[in-house]
Amino acid sequence: MSETGPAPSGKPQVRSSNCPSCGAALSLRSFGQAVTVVCQSCHSILDAQDPTLKILQTFQVAVGEDPPLIPLGTRGTIRGTTYEVVGFQRRTIRVEGIPYSWHEYVLFNPYKGFRYLTEYNGHWNDTSILRSIPAVSPGKSSLTYLGETYKQFQSANASTSFVLGEFPWQVRVGETADVCDYISPPRVISSEQTGKEVTWSMGEYIAGRDIWKAFKLSGDAPTPIGVYENQPSPMSEAVSATWRMVFVFAVALIVLMSVFYTFSRDEAAFEDGYTFDTNTTGEASFVTDIFELKGHTSDVVLTTTAELNNSWLYVNYALINQDTGHAYDFGREVSYYHGYDSDGFWSEGSTKDSVTVPSLPPGHYYLRIEPESDPHHGSIPYSVSLRRDVPQLSFFALGALGLLIPAIVLTWRSISFEHMRWAESDYGGAPDDGSLLSTVENAVDSVKDSMSGDDE
Amino acid sequence: MTQPTANCPNCGAPITFRWSASVQTVCEYCKSILVRTDVDLKKVGQVADLPPNPSPIQIGTEGVYGHRAFVTIGRIVYEYDQGGWNEWHLMMNDGTSGWLSDAQDEYAVTFAAPGRKLPGECKIGQDYSWDNCTYTVSTITKAHYRGVEGELPFQYWDKSDVVFVDLMTSTGRFATIDYSDDEPVLYLGESVDFDNLKFKNLRSFEGWS
Amino acid sequence: MIRSMFLIYGLAVLAAVSLAEYRGWSLDRVDEVLNVPKSVRDNPGSYRSVYSSYHHYTGGK
Repeated sequence: MSETGPAPSGKPQVRSSNCPSCGAALSLRSFGQAVTVVCQSCHSILDAQDPTLKILQTFQVAVGEDPPLIPLGTRGTIRGTTYEVVGFQRRTIRVEGIPYSWHEYVLFNPYKGFRYLTEYNGHWNDTSILRSIPAVSPGKSSLTYLGETYKQFQSANASTSFVLGEFPWQVRVGETADVCDYISPPRVISSEQTGKEVTWSMGEYIAGRDIWKAFKLSGDAPTPIGVYENQPSPMSEAVSATWRMVFVFAVALIVLMSVFYTFSRDEAAFEDGYTFDTNTTGEASFVTDIFELKGHTSDVVLTTTAELNNSWLYVNYALINQDTGHAYDFGREVSYYHGYDSDGFWSEGSTKDSVTVPSLPPGHYYLRIEPESDPHHGSIPYSVSLRRDVPQLSFFALGALGLLIPAIVLTWRSISFEHMRWAESDYGGAPDDGSLLSTVENAVDSVKDSMSGDDE
Repeated sequence: MTQPTANCPNCGAPITFRWSASVQTVCEYCKSILVRTDVDLKKVGQVADLPPNPSPIQIGTEGVYGHRAFVTIGRIVYEYDQGGWNEWHLMMNDGTSGWLSDAQDEYAVTFAAPGRKLPGECKIGQDYSWDNCTYTVSTITKAHYRGVEGELPFQYWDKSDVVFVDLMTSTGRFATIDYSDDEPVLYLGESVDFDNLKFKNLRSFEGWS
Repeated sequence: MIRSMFLIYGLAVLAAVSLAEYRGWSLDRVDEVLNVPKSVRDNPGSYRSVYSSYHHYTGGK
């Protein structure tokens, strides 16, 4: 620029004007970038590039129009750039005859251009036009963009049902476009086709409260209803992290098991054999000699073994601490029946029974034993053995279960969330692509089919 | 960099060329379109009033593309049914000429790519391959020339309807075939973000810092 | 958030399992009886667990 040139053109100004149709005041905030502008009062669509604001279309607004949640002219900061809301439109699709509408806000920054916010049922997306073409799979069921795969979610024909403010394209009420959405939560890539030209855009899910914060709006953002196509699952990250931790804890559990199995005493503390004469009447109880339980406070496994032949033996036990008078009292049954029938040999019960007595401090103990059985059924030989400090598998199994349950619950909730997401799609459920969700859905469907089949 | 000076043959105002290879310029004062001959400047036309420029870029805006700094020294203004756009003529710091297309603040930088076979007519969705890259026709725009400003590397004024074919790729590369002359001209380049161009000396807008 | 909660929970599970194994807890149903007199050794029939329910098998095959 020569040093002594004419004064450069003045700073671009917001242009104020009047609607040629109804005379209402209009302002054009996009410094000449808008192609159309809508009069707020009479809803005439005007040519924003024409100094006389030629009327392009007028439309009737049905009673009950919804005003934009972010008023035109509001400024907010998205991704570090301040934008001003200059336009608003409502677009409608029909699925099985039922209309579904969403809203789009046109955001403008004089340096960075235009951006869009879409809103449906309280779900918001920050959308911008793509400058590269995604690679669509041959069957159009998915596409890849920047190394990410997006799954086809919904195709529909969208028509513009309401407009307000300024637009960088020739908007008309009633204009239609074929829209197709491909999702990879939290992103969605949409293709929009009018005639032969296809425009690609990418949206990223953004929470209503972040919009309210960005635009400093009063009140609260509308509560989102249902699950939106690209709404990020609050759980998917947590699910894989949780299963990873389950794996680590399972390994720790196995290590723990080996430690306990190695270092527990698992030694015989007492063993003796007796015979119970079922013919005798009178006091059947007796006490054993005193024996010692060694080591730290731990369990004792008492095993009753009886030579039974189609009979039963019930033994009342009391394991009594000679020093403290503290005892554990319990009864155990052994029964064993067998025979032959048309299917061959059968047997029921067992000749052995074991019970774990908990947390016995070391010391001197004895057993008080009182056997019972059917009277006058002969003699039953039996033996009683005690093992001290025996590791138990049951607690490790419970521990494993305890670790699995939250992971399973979390996985179930995540699957339900995804199921709700895909219920809104063209497919009515997850696409049959071998994912866990589609496998679960197929299983549930086949169970339902077999159940309803029974009714007929 | 030579800065030859001359005087406007129409109004006598001093004309400076920032770029030695400029073929045409516009007198800032009287808006005459001037073409450089060996000896002096010849007036070939007049620029009608340009519409107000909505772009943040102006003649004199500086920036960086890749490793090369540039200065905006000229522009061509087009209009079509979706509004207008500017093709800014960039003088790169290595002396080459580049173009910054600026349509509703969407930016792309391209450079003339001669010597390639170009189709006579295009259809949307057709693929072409240049320099190991596949370009797909995305838009065919019928525009009309609206005006010029500043220095251009060729003679360009008073064009009637012109056809531009835009091509996009899967990697952000971008191409335009300019059908405004008898021979189509190919420009190859890429879409760029405003921030990556590190602009200086932009216009400011009322109400925006 | 869920990650750290599960971490604490998992550690608690491991701690509980370790405690159960070390102290020798049991899942079996046994009753505690206190203050069994030393005289039971001389007269086992005198043992009646007044303090807990007395298990007497009343079923049978």
